[in-house]
Amino acid sequence: MWWYLSQNALLGAVESGLIYGFVGLGVYISFRVLDFPDLTVEGSFPLGAAVVVVAILAGYDPWLATLFAAIAGALAGLVTAALNQIGKIPNLLASILTSTALYSVNLHILGGANVPLMTGDTIFTPFSSSQISDAVMRPLVLAFLGIIIIALLWRYFESNSGLAMRATGVNPRMSRAQGVSTAAQIFIGMALSNALVAIGGALFAQVNRYADSSLGIGTIVLGLAAVIIGSTFMPWKRIIFPLIGCFIGSIVYWVALAYALNGIPGMTPFDLNLVTAGLIAFVLIAIGKFGGALNDRT
Amino acid sequence: MIELDDIHVIFNKGKPLEKHALKGINLKIANGSFVTVIGSNGSGKSTLLGTLAGDVLPTKGRICFNDIDISHQNTTRRAALVARVFQDPLIGSCGNLSIEENLALAFQRGKNRGLGLALKKRNRELFRQRLSELNLGLENRLHEMMGSLSGGQRQAVSLIMATLSTSDILLLDEHTAALDPSMAEFIMKLTHEFVENHRFTTLMVTHSMRQALDFGTRTIMIDDGKVILDVTGEQRNKLTVNDLIEMFHRVRGQADIDGEMLVN
Repeated sequence: MWWYLSQNALLGAVESGLIYGFVGLGVYISFRVLDFPDLTVEGSFPLGAAVVVVAILAGYDPWLATLFAAIAGALAGLVTAALNQIGKIPNLLASILTSTALYSVNLHILGGANVPLMTGDTIFTPFSSSQISDAVMRPLVLAFLGIIIIALLWRYFESNSGLAMRATGVNPRMSRAQGVSTAAQIFIGMALSNALVAIGGALFAQVNRYADSSLGIGTIVLGLAAVIIGSTFMPWKRIIFPLIGCFIGSIVYWVALAYALNGIPGMTPFDLNLVTAGLIAFVLIAIGKFGGALNDRT
Repeated sequence: MIELDDIHVIFNKGKPLEKHALKGINLKIANGSFVTVIGSNGSGKSTLLGTLAGDVLPTKGRICFNDIDISHQNTTRRAALVARVFQDPLIGSCGNLSIEENLALAFQRGKNRGLGLALKKRNRELFRQRLSELNLGLENRLHEMMGSLSGGQRQAVSLIMATLSTSDILLLDEHTAALDPSMAEFIMKLTHEFVENHRFTTLMVTHSMRQALDFGTRTIMIDDGKVILDVTGEQRNKLTVNDLIEMFHRVRGQADIDGEMLVN
């Protein structure tokens, strides 16, 4: 029956939803806060995965390895910002260049197309116990991490610096007149955004115990799905709501996807990206037709 | 003292669309004076304001404020010095941020923006008190989005924003042009009070000859990138709107006169 989904499949969907919630936060910062359409994420997600796997295999503590991944992602974001702000390359094109270059960088870091993480601790290892299955424990750890990151971002966006970043995306001319260096804000925002996406990649690699150079394909669409679906569940403008929305949107998306792949006859995992693109097109058309206010920026 | 020394601005230099917008502006503006600037469309009056704000850097010439050369400072760096109100209320504030967030942004104008909370209890108190000066009831709507206000209300808040942080120069770029007459009058009354209280050096670009003579201490007329009239004191007091229109006729010829100016 179509509504039947095994408990493991459901937990797996929630787990993926939580991982891509971090990607959603990054995409929210670039697309919505900075108004900077950024495809760097297609490279910074596998970058995060590659860095964390290689670092853990080299014997680093998994938390430190995750931090390395975040730093690598931030650097990728800075490259895109520099191409755009200093090189004067249009933002979308600048980000495509960075993600293209990152493909090679990721192959170099991994030393191949795919590296399994057979041995070594992950950030989940210490929470493993006989009381509770790992399939339940991992989403709990991810949710806890998500809450901490949301809280930190919330606090940041309510600070003077965070407010300047939000103003930069809404009204750059006014921001400059108020003494905000819009260029600096784009650098900071792009670093923050891609650090979050790389953390998402690092968590993915630790959950699935491998990193692959082609992990990034479709990352942007999955991130946008989180942001867009989240904004229909959390339409309010105070900054905390869209931040929470990224996770809600992402979980809703992955659970819906699990149902679609499970319940529609003839669907296989091959159809994942087809369903993803179709679902997002559907949501965007629905928003365009019924919810114009969501696109209102002035 | 603001000193403009032989300011030239050329847009698209060396290209087919080259435009020589300012052709050697020389001005000395004493601290605390209120200068009204008039001129037809394309005369260069907005470019002059942009040059003072830092949006437009001069192709040639020097701008000094209190003997410090600021010619090469961009808008961001001059923000501590210059407060502005734009013609379009949508440009002067962020519609997607709340009223209090807009005020918090303006409160930090020209200062370092760190990780401290933008909205503390003390700031909110100040914002509420300043908004109550407007008598528009906005002091009870701090959480509402700026975008929910009317153009006139947004312009009134923009004036508050311009005066929240200390600055020396106030630039008003036809800031009542987009408003209905009664709102425009209210905003001008407010402008007058603020300029008196905060002792800014003010430049106000206006399309209205009436406004240009009724407000301020000095009037300059810009035409074709040059200052063609500069009056203060007795001489200015004696000027009438008709005199100004007369002058326009002489410089530009009847056909060029802006319809809007005659209406005003």
